[in-house]
Amino acid sequence: MRQILGYTLYLLRAYRRDWVALFFGFFFPLIFMTLFGILNFGSFGHVSVGIVDNAKNQASETFRMGLAKVETMQVTAGAEADELDALRKGDRDIVIVIPAEFRIAPARPGQAVPELTMYENQGRGQQVAVGEAILNQVIDQMSFAVTQSAPILTTKREQVQGRNLKYVDFLTPGILGMTIMQLGVASVMFTFVIDRQRGVIRRIMATPLSRRNYMAAHVLERLILAILQVGVLLAVAIFGFKATVLGSMWVVLLLVVIGSALFLCLGFAMSSFVTTENQAPAVMQLVTLPQMFLSGVFFSRDAVPAFLKPVSDLLPLTFLNEALRQVATAGASLSEIGADVVGILVWSAILFVIAFRFFRLEN
Amino acid sequence: MAAIVSVDGLRKRYGQIQAVDGVSFEVRQGEIFALLGPNGAGKTTTVEILEGLRTADDGKAIVAGVDVRKDPAGVKGRIGVQLQQSAFPENFLAHELVELFALFYDRTVDSRALLRAVGLEDKANQKSEKLSGGQRQRLSIAIALVNEPQVLFLDEPTTGLDPQARRNLWELIRDIRQRGTTVFLTTHYLDEAEVLCDRVAIMDGGKIIALDSPRALIGALIGRGFTKPVLQQQANLEDVFLDLTGHELREA
Repeated sequence: MRQILGYTLYLLRAYRRDWVALFFGFFFPLIFMTLFGILNFGSFGHVSVGIVDNAKNQASETFRMGLAKVETMQVTAGAEADELDALRKGDRDIVIVIPAEFRIAPARPGQAVPELTMYENQGRGQQVAVGEAILNQVIDQMSFAVTQSAPILTTKREQVQGRNLKYVDFLTPGILGMTIMQLGVASVMFTFVIDRQRGVIRRIMATPLSRRNYMAAHVLERLILAILQVGVLLAVAIFGFKATVLGSMWVVLLLVVIGSALFLCLGFAMSSFVTTENQAPAVMQLVTLPQMFLSGVFFSRDAVPAFLKPVSDLLPLTFLNEALRQVATAGASLSEIGADVVGILVWSAILFVIAFRFFRLEN
Repeated sequence: MAAIVSVDGLRKRYGQIQAVDGVSFEVRQGEIFALLGPNGAGKTTTVEILEGLRTADDGKAIVAGVDVRKDPAGVKGRIGVQLQQSAFPENFLAHELVELFALFYDRTVDSRALLRAVGLEDKANQKSEKLSGGQRQRLSIAIALVNEPQVLFLDEPTTGLDPQARRNLWELIRDIRQRGTTVFLTTHYLDEAEVLCDRVAIMDGGKIIALDSPRALIGALIGRGFTKPVLQQQANLEDVFLDLTGHELREA
């Protein structure tokens, strides 16, 4: 035991001097978090509406004010040519043209009502749809006001104290999962493939140190590193980007430990089949890149195309990310993420068996 | 003098190649012993069997009183090794490596004293990968001494070193023997074996074909009527080199 702990401490001391490992372990995920945190991808933003007012009367003024009062709408007014130009450049989501004969008055039989022309930005379907819905609501309200009739249906609004889920809240668990994966796979593959090739392990095996203690120290060192990395990332997310973690930190810690165990097993299993330093980076990318995009690190897995969904559902990182995200954003308890935990454990068991069967300390 | 290494009928085969083919010899306590031979003669395989790193197909080897086949870990604890083509893990300071390896033997050592013994006291706080070739060999010997071994195995310790570093290492090896440790080395440099070793074994094709002191082997050869044109020289090129560049160690 003294040997294992002592060796672990020496490994950690050496790790402090390994700038490449420090970069990829700590700075790389922080850069990701900062970039995505600043960009704030997830936010819906505003519906940018350009109004071309050809009537310029009391009625069109009322209509414009009505739209501008809606918070989600960012209303600008201008000449038709300018507004359409802005639409083409992507600066507007919708351009509404108010006809010259615009008025707000009860419709009389045989008389046409004024017609609004809408130009819509096809690339911003979501914003256009929201804009249309708001516009229709404004028209309805004005209609009821003019016809002095009551709507046939009314809604009663109950404000629910909903937590406003920011993108950084979604992102944080994904980055944690990615970091745990990278640490497990990269630190094992590079160290063992290189040390094996350079004869480092052979030299150590010429001492009475048992293989079991050797492996135990290396695994323990990486578990400690994983906890440190997650700690730093969480601190930056919470204090730097005001991310919130609703669930218990103990459950997060448990997930970090079993997640690290999973990816350490993956690293050992993979390095069983890699013999040279040159193969290592390629094999690593092959295994980690698909998971970075299919397991919901940066974006929701809703975006994964249907034919890849069955693959995405079963990837090791998917289980870890889903579990971490449930705990962080929904405050899930351990029993609520039971299925994901089972997924992590099953993967760990499979990979452990492969690693145990094929992993060799020497070539 | 008692035998500290005794080898009897050792065999090891790799596929079609009989790397070690019935090797028997003894190394006496306190001597400097060399195993010589061309590449592929089976030197390294023999040494690695004695170090407990490989198992022999047949035969028996007792090292420092321990049967290598029965207790490889026991042998590893009593010997010190310096392997050919091996390296130390990166990002460790020299003194940390000494302490780390002591830990592998469940010991604690005075790393500074050990580094001082090999002339690396001022490099204690340097990363091992930043050391020069000669310094790295000396560090490797310091590490091989952490468990106060009874036998020190050195596999081609001076390969790739400049003449100054080579001579410096010879001094170190003599020092170690002086303190009572038996030294077992392999080398390609026959002048090195001649000046350094008490006895040498010459190996070829997996077999030991000669074993005696360098002087006795040379005497026997001359006795068989061997002659070569003798060029009477008071010095050789290495003497010139060392005269011009000095005996001082160079550390790039």
